[in-house]
Amino acid sequence: MLKNYFKIAIAVFKRRKFFTFISLFGISFTLTILIVLTAFIDKVINDNYPDRKRDRSLYVNKMTERGDQSYNGEALSFYFLDHYVRRLKTPVKLAVSSDYRGTNTYVNNKKISISYKYTNADYWDVTEYDFLEGKPFTKQQIANAERVAVISADIKRAYFGDVPSVVGKYIEADNVQYRVCGVVKNVPVTLYMLYSDIYLPYTVSKTDYSSNTGYRGGYYGILLAASSADVPKMKKEFEQMVKKLPMSSKEYNKIYCPAETFIPAYLNTGNEDKSGLVYALTAIAIFVLLVMLLPTLNLININITRIMERSSEIGVRKAFGASSQTLVYQFIVENIILTILGCLIGIILSLIVLKVLNNASLIPNLELTLNFTVLSVGLLTCLIFGLLSGVYPAWRMSRLNVVDALKAQ
Amino acid sequence: MFRHLFTLIWNKKKQNFLLITEMLISFLVVFAVFTLVVFNYRNYRKPMGLEYENVWVVNYNNTLKTTNADSVMLFYEGLKQIIKSMPQVREVSYTSANIPFTQNSMMNGLDYKGKHINPNYCQSDEEYKNVLQIKMKEGRWFGKEDMNVSKRPIVINSTMKEQLFGKESATGKLIGDSKDLKIIGVIDDVKMKGDYTDAGAWLYVKIDTSSMPGIGRILVSVVPGTDAAFESRLYKTIANTMKDSNIEIEHLTNKLKDINYFALVPMIILSIVAGFLIINVALGLFGVLWYNINKRRSEIGLRRAIGATSGSVSAQLVSEALILATLSLIAGSFFAIQFPLLNVFDLPAGVYLTALALSVVFIYILVLICSLYPGRQAAAIYPAVALHED
Repeated sequence: MLKNYFKIAIAVFKRRKFFTFISLFGISFTLTILIVLTAFIDKVINDNYPDRKRDRSLYVNKMTERGDQSYNGEALSFYFLDHYVRRLKTPVKLAVSSDYRGTNTYVNNKKISISYKYTNADYWDVTEYDFLEGKPFTKQQIANAERVAVISADIKRAYFGDVPSVVGKYIEADNVQYRVCGVVKNVPVTLYMLYSDIYLPYTVSKTDYSSNTGYRGGYYGILLAASSADVPKMKKEFEQMVKKLPMSSKEYNKIYCPAETFIPAYLNTGNEDKSGLVYALTAIAIFVLLVMLLPTLNLININITRIMERSSEIGVRKAFGASSQTLVYQFIVENIILTILGCLIGIILSLIVLKVLNNASLIPNLELTLNFTVLSVGLLTCLIFGLLSGVYPAWRMSRLNVVDALKAQ
Repeated sequence: MFRHLFTLIWNKKKQNFLLITEMLISFLVVFAVFTLVVFNYRNYRKPMGLEYENVWVVNYNNTLKTTNADSVMLFYEGLKQIIKSMPQVREVSYTSANIPFTQNSMMNGLDYKGKHINPNYCQSDEEYKNVLQIKMKEGRWFGKEDMNVSKRPIVINSTMKEQLFGKESATGKLIGDSKDLKIIGVIDDVKMKGDYTDAGAWLYVKIDTSSMPGIGRILVSVVPGTDAAFESRLYKTIANTMKDSNIEIEHLTNKLKDINYFALVPMIILSIVAGFLIINVALGLFGVLWYNINKRRSEIGLRRAIGATSGSVSAQLVSEALILATLSLIAGSFFAIQFPLLNVFDLPAGVYLTALALSVVFIYILVLICSLYPGRQAAAIYPAVALHED
């Protein structure tokens, strides 16, 4: 039976090539947009290089202090992370790193813009950067405030050129000479909590990291639990600790500082009432709806036209006893065959678009790829498409009166 | 004539309803794109209002151990003199972090005679105007005479003046909650957020001794043709004067490129997506109209047989399509007009209205193009052949 439907479908597609082209164009293009969008989102939030232990990590990246008149939100101070968060019992490790900041360095009268970040030793255990050479700095080196640096592959190429090994060489940044102790694979800037060109021990920070004893400053924390089962417990303990924090000033009466898993933390707006996650989801939903609505309506229009064209065929089948249900079923199958064809073209198109986007490198080091998640989203969209645009015309068709249908031609 | 066409449309209301919905949504998409394009283009046409070539920005952070306001001021005055004494440097100015072409914003609410506005709040000094070569509209910029005066002198831009005083002159007026801010001058609008964003309201105050430690930017204007070798020397000089500070030098030209990029990329992506959607819709419309006309061969044949010219047949079909478009445009304009009425995104009403007019014209042209060919084809039907088929 299905084989028959398939044969009929192909015959119909061949008969009206123009309509087939319009349908395929609409489907494949819509799918391309959705696949590229999914690939981007997937890359930004789902790619777990370099923090591969996301399932047992909680991220703390912002604290908001509120009062009746005032409202202040910012990243955390080193003091807060070191004194309050470190004392928690559940986390086995606490990675502390500053936000990335910019500076320049000049090589052979050429300027290189560099971003740098201060980290502690645990940062390298909690995250799993791929070291192309060398290794991270140690606790001992941090305690001695040694001027050592882990640099990214990009900076290695920009600063030293194409040399095999740079470990042990010196790099000048912010007017200070640092000895390179390791080179890591690049991280895209979209991972703002982890991105940097140079990673330095926090003890060499020019601004005195310990003098700021307020809660807010320029540092992020990643709390690592022993297992993913401990994460809820860790979250609870963190919340309890925040609840007990004394207010830093009389103007405030509320502190909001969540420890969240990666995605909510990534989208944290610092405002309890305005979840970044909700914002992002609404924006994406509206965009997807708009992108899908027009082609769907278009497809419905085209499909109705196509069915009406086949009214004599439908009339004959009905006259010979085919039930409405069978006809609806047949038509939906035909439509799904068409959408799957469009889907295949769409996947090829998106491969091309992704390649072009990667080559254009709009965001450095953000390599967009197709993977299982992206493809399954694509397939799901296809099915929704096929059903949405097939059901209404099929229903219209099944209600055709046999006599009218036969008379039409 | 119209009555007749409406009857024809009403008879096929189910199918036409879908067509109208499709046109309506296309109209809304086109309207969104045009609004963005018109807004960006209007801003692009306005003068920049400042000179950004050969202006560099030094980012630093205050790490002085002393908290004595006078010695802080003395130190930074000294640093300014050191930079200014370099031969390639023309002017030097301290300013707050909301320098031109950054996303960084600082806003402060302000009430004046029942009006509430949220101007950008920028701290700067006497040389700021010369570094960026900003033009005065009335009054004057900060000068030495502004030391030790009871009312704090401020300079505002034209947009803020318009908002608060309309056509009146603003110089000499006192504003602020306790009337302690005295306007000494009005500058021409400056597009501080790049080519494609409007100026917005700006308020400039002079940096005083107490706010100096919070300042973190130096604007340096250099003579044309200054190269990276000098930049490196400038960098070393500042870094050696402020040993504990983190220094970064950026160029305003690069910052302008970055901020323009942020304004343009969403518009380009949206235009591409909308472009493909419209092609999609156009092909669909074309197909459906073409099919409908083919279905009505006998009707058309009959009309031809009783004397209608090919021109009037084709005109009938095209006007049917245009009436459908008109119906959807009326519904669409109803939604679109809510944007200026409710002042949704705080854009000037002119932007919405221009975009509305452009989208209406666009949809009409689109429908016209899609219906012309099917219409002409219908006109070419021979009555004898068409009537014979039935």
